[in-house]
Amino acid sequence: MAIHHKILGVATLLYLLVFFLHVLYLSVKKERILSVTWITIYGTFCIHTLGLVLRWIESYRMDMGHVPLANFYESLIFFAWSITLVLIIMRRRIPYPVITMCASASSLFLMGYASLSPSVERNIQPLIPALQSNWLHIHVITCFVAYAAFVISFVCGVLYFVGWEGIVPSKETLDDINYRSVTIGFPMLSLGILTGAVWAHYAWGSYWSWDPKETWSLITWIIYALFLHARLVRGWRERRIALISIIGFVSVVFTYFGVNIILSGLHSYAI
Amino acid sequence: MLVLSLIALASVFGTVIKQGASPEEYLAVYSERTYRIISLLGLDDAYRAPWFIALVLLFAMSLVFCTLRRLALFVKEKRGIRLPGEDRLSKMELHAYVRGKGLEETIGILTRDYRIAVRQGQGAVLERGRLSRYGVFIIHTSILVILAGGFAGLLFGYRGFVTLGIGETKDRLTLSGKESAERPLGFALRCKDFRVNHYPTGEPKDYVSTVEIIEKEKVVLEKEIRVNDPLSYKGTRIYQSTYGSAPVFLFNIGGEEVALTEREIFRKKDLLLMPARFENRIHDFGPGVLVAYLDNGEPKAVWFLKGVDRLREQTLQGVKVSLNDIREQPYTGLEVSEDPGVPMVWTGFALILLGLYVNFFLHYRRIYLLTVPEGLLVAGMALKNREDFKREFEKMVEEIHGHTS
Repeated sequence: MAIHHKILGVATLLYLLVFFLHVLYLSVKKERILSVTWITIYGTFCIHTLGLVLRWIESYRMDMGHVPLANFYESLIFFAWSITLVLIIMRRRIPYPVITMCASASSLFLMGYASLSPSVERNIQPLIPALQSNWLHIHVITCFVAYAAFVISFVCGVLYFVGWEGIVPSKETLDDINYRSVTIGFPMLSLGILTGAVWAHYAWGSYWSWDPKETWSLITWIIYALFLHARLVRGWRERRIALISIIGFVSVVFTYFGVNIILSGLHSYAI
Repeated sequence: MLVLSLIALASVFGTVIKQGASPEEYLAVYSERTYRIISLLGLDDAYRAPWFIALVLLFAMSLVFCTLRRLALFVKEKRGIRLPGEDRLSKMELHAYVRGKGLEETIGILTRDYRIAVRQGQGAVLERGRLSRYGVFIIHTSILVILAGGFAGLLFGYRGFVTLGIGETKDRLTLSGKESAERPLGFALRCKDFRVNHYPTGEPKDYVSTVEIIEKEKVVLEKEIRVNDPLSYKGTRIYQSTYGSAPVFLFNIGGEEVALTEREIFRKKDLLLMPARFENRIHDFGPGVLVAYLDNGEPKAVWFLKGVDRLREQTLQGVKVSLNDIREQPYTGLEVSEDPGVPMVWTGFALILLGLYVNFFLHYRRIYLLTVPEGLLVAGMALKNREDFKREFEKMVEEIHGHTS
């Protein structure tokens, strides 16, 4: 087994540890555990990054060098990485362990799915010609940072309907964090769609082909645009906003997984 | 907003039902009645259906009106920035009294970051990040620009493809869409060379066509086209899309060596023939080709088999025709398109990036200053990022205080 697989395995175990540390903190509420948790999150992020970098180097050694953003496995790993990245960026704004717990649990799920599911090809694969472009990096990175921000928004949306006394922050706070994460996710998704369109213009001959993935990303974009308008123009808050963020995330999940599994299209070769 | 939701809903149909396929394909999946409904509503080509375009136009119009209405409101509001009275300022969430500090001096400190919007008697209104309030308009305008570009492409652009064997020249392309119509390219396109590079694992790494553009019998441009690296000539863009190989049949017809591809018509005196269908294996006899020809004006077909002597050489219309060899010749599949809307769409993209930045990463803040008997009343408000502004405001008040001592 290649070294990067081992390192990513360690990262997966660390995500599990992060999850348990959160549970521990939420049950005993000792501040020290929380700081240990954050140190572990940083450590996990470093190991995870190392795993990605080693995979990258390995691909060059195998003479088909490309960034590890080129197949479903790599996208899952990168999705998990982006969630942690967004957590770290938003750390100051989300000092609520229950949110970080849910977010890192989703990283754990993605990592676990990536390394355990029999249907996921884990080896480094050569990059097919259509993906050999510099647009690949920016397109995939922006899309996944957007998805990661929407994960946070979704977590807030769901927690809104969960009444765990003393663990879940107040409804206004959830609403605020939800909105903030969408203000990160929405511009990122827009950027992802734009870069995708420019790339498609060079690779497929048209900036917009109504390919199912494109269409679903547009649907997702519209839902989050509605989210922002409902909030800023109509003044919707809390309950209805939480509902939209859940609908939006369902659409994200469908854009990411559903389209690949159910519908066929130009994107079918990868992510 | 309602219109936008409708568009989202309509797009869902478009992804669920396969687009632009032939009626036979639909009938294989759906019942006849369902198909009639589908084609009546244009759901087999939903994104070009009149109702979908009408929906988009409706959306564009409502976007224009909303934007204009809000812009008018903004201009009015900008002209109407006034300094509220003390009672209202002291009720604001963020306010503080600063003692022993003059109005002018405070303005002097604040104008490092803020701009004076209004000076009014014993007070002033300062603001920062006014641009951010225009972000929404930039975004909305750029969406309109992108839509306009999209329509321009829909109206004046086309998409199609050309397949070329090595050495072959064509000056027409096949348009994509339901009817396989043709269209002149406006120049001739010749494939000089085509090659595929493979990874050690055998998967294709790269495919490259070297093509020449010929106008008036002269080569005006030569370029290698790869995936992700198209050729652009007078607004027409040519993309490497696919590749494959097609059989070439080497015949000897009445003493003349001829190479024919499938469906290529050969004519010589009374003889008219065309290789109609290639089969890689006919029973145990190996590869063969069905040749269609005219027998005194009546269409007939006969099999030529490479591996069977009796069928390799036959006489058609008194001419001796023999199949010498069947070779696989690679061809390149090029996608051709012209879209005059692209520059507009790119402009829209650039604008929307600017708009997104302005809207989401700058924010508008306002500070009110009013001289009151207790000293100076400082109040602030922000439209977004209120938590951050609260911190900024507290620091600011401290700073104003700090200058006293």
